[in-house]
Amino acid sequence: MIEVQGLYKKFCADIKYNMLYGIKDTFLKAPTQESYMRLRPKEFWALHDINFTVRSGDIMGILGTNGSGKTTLMRLIAGIYETNVGSIHLIDNCRITPIFALKSGMSPVFTGMENIYIKGSMLGMSKAEIEEKMDFILSFSEIEDFIHMPFGNYSSGMGARLAYAIAAATDPDLFIIDEALAVGDDHFRNKCFEHLRDFARGKNKCVLFVSNNIDKVSKVANRVLVLDKARLALDTLDIQEGFDYYLNKGYESLDDFSKQEVLLQKKNVKKS
Amino acid sequence: MLSSFQKVYNYRFLILQLIRVFALSPYKKSFLGGLWLIFFPIITVIIWIFLKGAGIVDPGDTEVPYPVYVLLSTSIWGLFLQLYKTVSQSITNGGRMMMMNSFPHETIVASLTITQLINFAILMIINISVILLFGVRLSWLSFLFPLTLIPLILFGMTIGLFVAMLRVIALDLCQAIDEGMKIVMYLTPIVYAPKIEISWLQSIINYNPLTYLIGFSRDILVTGDLSLMKGYFICFAGTLVLFPLVLRFYLKNESKILERLINN
Repeated sequence: MIEVQGLYKKFCADIKYNMLYGIKDTFLKAPTQESYMRLRPKEFWALHDINFTVRSGDIMGILGTNGSGKTTLMRLIAGIYETNVGSIHLIDNCRITPIFALKSGMSPVFTGMENIYIKGSMLGMSKAEIEEKMDFILSFSEIEDFIHMPFGNYSSGMGARLAYAIAAATDPDLFIIDEALAVGDDHFRNKCFEHLRDFARGKNKCVLFVSNNIDKVSKVANRVLVLDKARLALDTLDIQEGFDYYLNKGYESLDDFSKQEVLLQKKNVKKS
Repeated sequence: MLSSFQKVYNYRFLILQLIRVFALSPYKKSFLGGLWLIFFPIITVIIWIFLKGAGIVDPGDTEVPYPVYVLLSTSIWGLFLQLYKTVSQSITNGGRMMMMNSFPHETIVASLTITQLINFAILMIINISVILLFGVRLSWLSFLFPLTLIPLILFGMTIGLFVAMLRVIALDLCQAIDEGMKIVMYLTPIVYAPKIEISWLQSIINYNPLTYLIGFSRDILVTGDLSLMKGYFICFAGTLVLFPLVLRFYLKNESKILERLINN
């Protein structure tokens, strides 16, 4: 369904250089593929030679420590960032629903109901499609009693429920979930995981599930991809192998607090 | 560029929703709500009547009562300025939404523009009521007024789109342009008559496209005077060339610029 080949992406670590390169690349000379491959001062690779394929039915857990390039990769696949070097091939007419921040684009002063139309349209749904899926959205989110309350007054969990329900209603071919299920209670998260598993059983459907929490990934993924310092370190169907690699390899580059968090996750996974 | 228009059309329901958000959000928490749209122009008229009555400003000869002249001129200038401001802030203000959601970003520019046009339409209904109250009769060409605004709208959007990119990668230049807009306001005959005695200032006014784009629309509405027509159509032709060029450049580079946005 998705074929990523030789993908590179670079960013600039310094604000002033970032602006300078922006002026140069926009107004003076657009970078060619060849010139893009040379790092200028203060630039760094966010993604370096990424190659992988996603098949129908895959729920690919994408693991990596902070700054390893997970979100950049997802934004490239979602078409938010421009592909400079390398290619991303998707099946024809592939509908993508990316969730980078569940509540992004929703307006706090409008009611939950009004936000269904706002967020639904942002995810590419027409008015008729939204109204057709309204019952599903209301029942999945389980907040029907509060649907006419200002969205800003929702608890973070309620907001997340509604936002996820709207995203689920889009019924895309590719679902990208980037650290978006960090909020909400266990009941809601399990419901989302169940929905994702059901979703991926459909024809030409797949999920890219980004997290640095292996506990969550273990509940949903049937394949693991590990990114390490902008490079694809491991692509495996063996979930346990993926976790072990991530925990051992990624562990070395973590700070003390994150190390403790990973150890805790390790214990939880063993228990489950 | 055609595919871009196609995308905007496909996402027309989103545009409608964003217009609601942009237009109604400021008033959602207000008891008076949209009534503020009526109060603002009334307050402006009162201020200008007061300034004129107190002899603080001497506008020179205007063919219509001075408050009417100022009210119309500043309103039309306001349309240009608001279009410039909102469009030029579209990437910086909407950047987070653009980074977190996958939708055609042209829809934000389209929604912001339409929102400003709606605000302006409401304002003009008030203005025309005030004009009639002053006993000024509208010209027989006044029905053309909305159409005469097209080049001004395109001009505001053209500068706005260009500055939207600068706001991310060349903040110094963009701030200079923002400040420059304040100077441009004083170099455009909107609070004084277009014919003045200072020769150098008169030259600047004569070369300022806004003199024609604002003045012609204002004259069409109240006096029917066509003396600015030649300059107006030259500016119109200019915007018809410039707008597609800048729009194309914006569409080509907007995603690269977005990557360089820091506050996402």
